[in-house]
Amino acid sequence: MKIPVVEDELAQCVSCGLCLPHCPTFRVTGEERYSPRGRIEAIRQVHRGDEPADASFIDMMDTCVQCRGCETACPSGVPFGRLMEAAREGLAEATRYQPWYRRLGYRALAVHPLVVAGSRLLALAQRSRLVPSARLGLPDRLPLRVAPLRVRAVAADAPEVWFHTGCVMDAWQRDVHDAALAVLGAMGVAARLPQPNRRGLDGGCCGALAGHAGLIDIARAQATATMATFPGSAPILVDSAGCGAQLKDLGHLLGTDEARAFSARVFDIQEWIAAHADRLPGPGPAAAGADRPVVAVQDPCHLRHVQRAHLPVRQVLRPYFTLVELDDEGLCCGAGGAYSVLQPELSRQIRDRKLGALRRAGGSVVASANPGCSMHLAAAGLEVRHPMELLADALGLAAEAGDGDGQRDRDRG
Amino acid sequence: MRGDAGVVCFPLTTEEVQHCVRIAGRHGRAVVPRGAGTGLAGGAVPKDAPVVVVTTKMQQVEVDRDRRLVWVQPGVINLDLTKQLRPDGFHFAPDPSSQQSCSLGGNVANNSGGPHCLAYGVTSAHVVAIEVVLGDGELTMLGGLDPEPAGYDLRGVFVGSEGCVGIATRIAVRLTPNPPAVATLLADFVEPADAAAAVSAIIAAGVVPAAIEMMDQRITQVVEAFVGAGYPTDAGAILLVEVDGLPGGVAAETALVDEVCRAHRARSVRVAADDEERMLLWKGRKTAFGAVARVKPNYYLHDTVVPRTKLLDVLRQVYEIADRHGIIVMNVFHAGDGNLHPLLVFDAREPGVLDRVHDAGEEIVRASLDAGGVLSGEHGIGLEKQPFMGWQFTTVDLDAQARLRDAFDPDGRCNPAKVLPAGSRCGDLQHLDDSRRRQLLDDGAWV
Repeated sequence: MKIPVVEDELAQCVSCGLCLPHCPTFRVTGEERYSPRGRIEAIRQVHRGDEPADASFIDMMDTCVQCRGCETACPSGVPFGRLMEAAREGLAEATRYQPWYRRLGYRALAVHPLVVAGSRLLALAQRSRLVPSARLGLPDRLPLRVAPLRVRAVAADAPEVWFHTGCVMDAWQRDVHDAALAVLGAMGVAARLPQPNRRGLDGGCCGALAGHAGLIDIARAQATATMATFPGSAPILVDSAGCGAQLKDLGHLLGTDEARAFSARVFDIQEWIAAHADRLPGPGPAAAGADRPVVAVQDPCHLRHVQRAHLPVRQVLRPYFTLVELDDEGLCCGAGGAYSVLQPELSRQIRDRKLGALRRAGGSVVASANPGCSMHLAAAGLEVRHPMELLADALGLAAEAGDGDGQRDRDRG
Repeated sequence: MRGDAGVVCFPLTTEEVQHCVRIAGRHGRAVVPRGAGTGLAGGAVPKDAPVVVVTTKMQQVEVDRDRRLVWVQPGVINLDLTKQLRPDGFHFAPDPSSQQSCSLGGNVANNSGGPHCLAYGVTSAHVVAIEVVLGDGELTMLGGLDPEPAGYDLRGVFVGSEGCVGIATRIAVRLTPNPPAVATLLADFVEPADAAAAVSAIIAAGVVPAAIEMMDQRITQVVEAFVGAGYPTDAGAILLVEVDGLPGGVAAETALVDEVCRAHRARSVRVAADDEERMLLWKGRKTAFGAVARVKPNYYLHDTVVPRTKLLDVLRQVYEIADRHGIIVMNVFHAGDGNLHPLLVFDAREPGVLDRVHDAGEEIVRASLDAGGVLSGEHGIGLEKQPFMGWQFTTVDLDAQARLRDAFDPDGRCNPAKVLPAGSRCGDLQHLDDSRRRQLLDDGAWV
């Protein structure tokens, strides 16, 4: 089976093995076949036609969390994420790797009303005990209703930014979005929400999940539609590390100048706030006390290993909280988008290691800038909050929520 | 270097390793142990479909503070062990460049070194006792916890035996106290010759630094592209020197090293300001091999050791040999103990390049041996340096080594295809079973 890789990129691995300890699946299995080096070797063999793209190969590819921790560890700069996406793309084209119902599911992510309705259905089923949430790695209680998203009123000459809302996160964690908008409001920044095309029938999903699954055509279509919802030149802020990583990479995915220009406008929200920290109201007297909350910072892989923008989370939180670091060098937590549902056993074992690191670090609350990680860790009984929620609390903005004084209220549900 | 594994086993316990070895024996298969697969000489590459015993799942660690040692299973990763010991003020001293990935079992099998072995000694200086599964599945303990174990030092036979004596299933290693103070210096030279001269001068001045590493311009440029540690990419060579100990001594030695480097025309000497900068400088050195794909996708690495006084002379020959064969060579090595690591980098897809690389490699080995050096400092012989064994050892030497090996593994079950070239034995073959004897004769054993 030909795999649509760039052959020079595939040749770039010298098999030194320095990636092994940074791979979550190698860490929990100790098996070469579940390591980046083993997977690259398998891709090479299948690509050369020496081995078939059989169930064993699919298993090696499918068990990869796509955390890309191997990329930051790799001295030769092997673009492993691209190799893995190419392998999955090849599988999706040549085999029944992605059956019709999954393709349909990924397509549906772009239709936001469907996502919200589906989420509500799932929430109902959960409350009727019809879904084994723990086994599926779902958050404990999905929201039944989601409050309208509300941008805060600011001065007329305030600088303008776009705020990416996304698909599943907007249905499941709209309170995080709301906290982010409250912080932006307090900074005197005018946030604009994307306007979905065709009455909300596409442009809701950035295409990351489809891309990770090897469904590149769907990913490209979704990315193109998403791009169109952020016209102009204002920066685009993203409070989901996974979506941010995808939107920053559209230049590569779509290969157009327009996409490259778009990607250059994308920032993780913490990254942007840290660069504009002078706009933040200073910490109040409470934040200076010795009893300020101790926060363990969990770096989402797509923030640390892909965007390489994990340090701003600390810059943003440090004035208000006592921060503690994990000792696992950003090893993945096992959430990986849909991974926790598709590979529950490995995902749980990987999470167990993360829980150990969090225990050693201490702290009463975990900060995580990615919805997938936070749900996955919360499902293990931890208190996990988005840095924007923590910041909104620290700035005393939590109480404001729901005042209803926004300019452009919009219930996308 | 491609292998051919028969069965791959992932044992968790000593007993499971014994079972693997016995089952292999019943089916007439050899046993090849494998750790993290970071070896550079092919020692773990399976030949002729053996049973491969992978130790990566054997991860138990038991610290014995009273005896100041730790028992580890062979799959424990070198750097993981050090990290685990760090809160108590200790570490495991041998720190090969691959320490973030390589396993203790592999360190013992190859008698691994590392930058800090200049002052602290290589793995054999840190291993106290080894529980070993022999080729027939029997369990034995080599060395021991007593201050002076009775009998011959068989532990010393096992360390560095590359899996040819048995499989280590538990290893007791010493805990090394973390030094109270550490300073890392980066000295920047225009001429590699000056850097090499500075190395000897530092030691002649009475300092034995914890580490002295040298990197030439090509490797410095490649590594800087990955770590961004601020290495001077226009330098002909850089030295990375670390001194450690009590704060007063470290300050004095730092000043002395600085002075010696400047006396040898160092353009600048930078002392890392904090731990973060130190770690970054070391990260560059320790990821050097893996970074070469930024130039070419393949590399062939040699590991010869030459007398420190001949360092400069051999280094010159290395560049000359590589140039003559049209191969790019990069040098990054343990200058303090004369352990060269010339990296020949190439793209295996270019027709004919492999022959040139092999020819250049052979000449480098010849040049090192002619200068009074040895084949391998720490990477082992494995498959890769097997053909050169006859250059360093006489047939009598090789036969003695073969007899020692046979004393532990008379049936030749343990990693038989490695280290000693075929035909090393000159003794009679009567005590071996037919298939083994035939195999040896086919391989060219002389009777």
